[in-house]
Amino acid sequence: MTGRVCRGCGGTDIELDAARGDAVCTGCGSVLEDNIIVSEVQFVENSGGGSSAVGQFVSLDGAGKTPTLGGGFHVNLGKESRAQTLQNGRRQIHHLGNQLQLNQHCLDTAFNFFKMAVSKHLTRGRKMAHVIAACLYLVCRTEGTPHMLLDLSDLLQVNVYVLGKTFLLLARELCINAPAIDPCLYIPRFAHLLEFGEKNHEVSMTALRLLQRMKRDWMHTGRRPSGLCGAALLVAARMHDFRRTVKEVISVVKVCESTLRKRLTEFEDTPTSQLTVDEFMKIDLEEECDPPSYTAGQRKLRLKQLEQVLSKKLEEVEGEISTYQDAIENELESSRPKAKGALANLTRDGSVEDTTSSVFGEDDAEDEELEAAASHLNKDFYQEILGSGLSSSSEGAGDPDGDARPPALESLLGPLPTAASLGISDSIRECISSQSQDPTDACGDGELDLSGIDDLEIDRYILNEAEARVKAELWMRENAEYLREQREKEARIAKEKELGIYKEHKPKKSCKRREPIQASTAGEAIEKMLEQKKISSKINYSVLRDLNSKGGGGLQEEDAQPEGRTATRKLSRRKTPARRHRADPVTGVGKRLRPMVSAQPAKKAAAGEPLPLSPSTLGAEPARPTAVLVESGPVSYHPEDDPDEDDPDEDDGEPCVSALQMMGSGDYGCDGEEDDGY
Amino acid sequence: YPSPMTPMTPITPATPASESSGIVPQLQNIVSTVNLGCKLDLKTIALRARNAEYNPKRFAAVIMRIREPRTTALIFSSGKMVCTGAKSEEQSRLAARKYARVVQKLGFPAKFLDFKIQNMVGSCDVKFPIRLEGLVLTHQQFSSYEPELFPGLIYRMIKPRIVLLIFVSGKVVLTGAKVRAEI
Repeated sequence: MTGRVCRGCGGTDIELDAARGDAVCTGCGSVLEDNIIVSEVQFVENSGGGSSAVGQFVSLDGAGKTPTLGGGFHVNLGKESRAQTLQNGRRQIHHLGNQLQLNQHCLDTAFNFFKMAVSKHLTRGRKMAHVIAACLYLVCRTEGTPHMLLDLSDLLQVNVYVLGKTFLLLARELCINAPAIDPCLYIPRFAHLLEFGEKNHEVSMTALRLLQRMKRDWMHTGRRPSGLCGAALLVAARMHDFRRTVKEVISVVKVCESTLRKRLTEFEDTPTSQLTVDEFMKIDLEEECDPPSYTAGQRKLRLKQLEQVLSKKLEEVEGEISTYQDAIENELESSRPKAKGALANLTRDGSVEDTTSSVFGEDDAEDEELEAAASHLNKDFYQEILGSGLSSSSEGAGDPDGDARPPALESLLGPLPTAASLGISDSIRECISSQSQDPTDACGDGELDLSGIDDLEIDRYILNEAEARVKAELWMRENAEYLREQREKEARIAKEKELGIYKEHKPKKSCKRREPIQASTAGEAIEKMLEQKKISSKINYSVLRDLNSKGGGGLQEEDAQPEGRTATRKLSRRKTPARRHRADPVTGVGKRLRPMVSAQPAKKAAAGEPLPLSPSTLGAEPARPTAVLVESGPVSYHPEDDPDEDDPDEDDGEPCVSALQMMGSGDYGCDGEEDDGY
Repeated sequence: YPSPMTPMTPITPATPASESSGIVPQLQNIVSTVNLGCKLDLKTIALRARNAEYNPKRFAAVIMRIREPRTTALIFSSGKMVCTGAKSEEQSRLAARKYARVVQKLGFPAKFLDFKIQNMVGSCDVKFPIRLEGLVLTHQQFSSYEPELFPGLIYRMIKPRIVLLIFVSGKVVLTGAKVRAEI
């Protein structure tokens, strides 16, 4: 007699039939339990006269279907969901794994990964197929089997990058570092597919050697291993006089033709490609090449540098030509009658500035019109200089340089297009002003700081009336369908509102708020949690209770003691169920386990010692932060919530009461669960 | 056959001390957000601004671009705005202010609240080839290298919290920084 309380009549007279594995209440006759695990073996006679043992097969993982009759119905659903997920997953893993010809050990490992993933809730929001594929691929990587992610995506008809994303996430969450793929792993597989007959081994060896060479030449970093394999196999096949075309290799290796050709060209660029077949088998060249992308990058850099050097040379040549020009002009001038002072200055300066302008013209790489315009501007510029002090047209650039500099500097700066100089001044002004504005903005006055924003520029971004009308028409035409849908939706909502049946279709929040388990001891908490979770009706709760009774007894004295102690005890209590949680991935206890709050401190209504929760150990349910917060202090105790909770199940009724009676608090009913709106 | 995994040349990108080698990453992109502080009618904005596109069926925001500095902004009806494409923090701020000004001119009482730089992307070249397999062996808790999926190695640095994409040619892309100092 296990001494439970019958749900129907409340009687404690329960008869346990060991042979049949039933627990029946003698008061009302309701069957409280069946399929209890028994240690007897009974035989029944078949119709044919043979005898067979009575019993059921219970699967290794997860509880089998235990049809507890009467009550416990909705609880079974809770357990079954998790068990169903796992069963489903196991089935799919086997199905896929058999298609990939993975052995049983791999499949079991994959199932373990899957269990871990489920317990970390990584299956939520993801297609089960993706998670399964990721688990299988993880196994392939850790075991080193020659399966590619591409194979899996082929089987599932899913984009390989989507699978890859799931796989990376899984690897990260499970903290499993899969070793990097070695292309050598794939050689035997592809060689077999290419059907080399007896020379399979030799061709494979050659291909392996080629791959080694490629690795030394830095060709394999960052590349798909299958592409490299394809190239190596192709060359190896040719070396052994097998006529394998590119197309055949591609169909086996699953890369694009251009990729294969590119690999072949890269290999061609390495010095090893110059060796003959025999030399290659014997000699290993010492030098190593740089990866092709590196050499390509270097080449580009070099080209750019060459260009720069060339352009500089051009400038120099231009400079030389212009000096010759000037020399000729000077000669001509000197042969001409001398002009008056001011004009002479002008022309002399003009010639100087002409050289510089030509130099800068090359520098800017602008065409000659700009140059001419610049020189024209400069003539005006110089007249201004000579006429009336320094102009401020290049204030931004000019000012910092100071006015004291000789006109040569002006001439250097003059040819720069005025737009650029304005731009510089703008940004300088803006920098200075924004620096001073930053503190005020940081104060958060929120006003838009208009400094540095050219209003004209902004206005250019706004359409005028006519343009706006045209655009409106076009837009309306483009989006007519959408607008129509919006109107219909609004009409529908308005109608529903009138009829009063308007439902706000908010995105459904999937979190099911369970009532926090309120228990005074770790053992009690575990029992209540087990009830809620319905992990297995096969656990011998009496033994469990005995294990924890010491903890419960110890707690009795605790009542009278100051709360400082309870804080630490609570901590330890919280940790133990958490530990249990970790050891039991199947149950996913974390989902349901609430931080325990003792009734005692609540009754004492003490100052809430902040119970430092470790929500992370409870499976990190971010969807219920409120529940966690609520639990952070003893005030979270809701005695009125208890009657809401059903006790649907027969297992822990009695122990709950007994433990509670020990504690002397009658507030607790039996914690069942509020499940699925039952 | 010799194991191909042993890094023969110990070339690996150094820890944050690489800055001392004189290589300074160039900022390529800055993403920032700002709150304009008022509800906006996206249709009005889209129909009256020259450089705005709005396709409500596809995405619920107006996409506006300006040429100087060359940036793109996503403006939402709640008044929040995302500005991307600037090459420096100052430029991003200036661009965001220009967008706000445009919205102001279109008749909305736009303000400029909570300008915050969310992400900065930089790139640099270390000028020597990098052996990614060796790196993933030595730093495997930070690195993730899947040649089948992506040719670069993804290195997630904890402190500062940035992600580096390291390529075999020696080019490195840094992203995820909130301030320039992190890069």
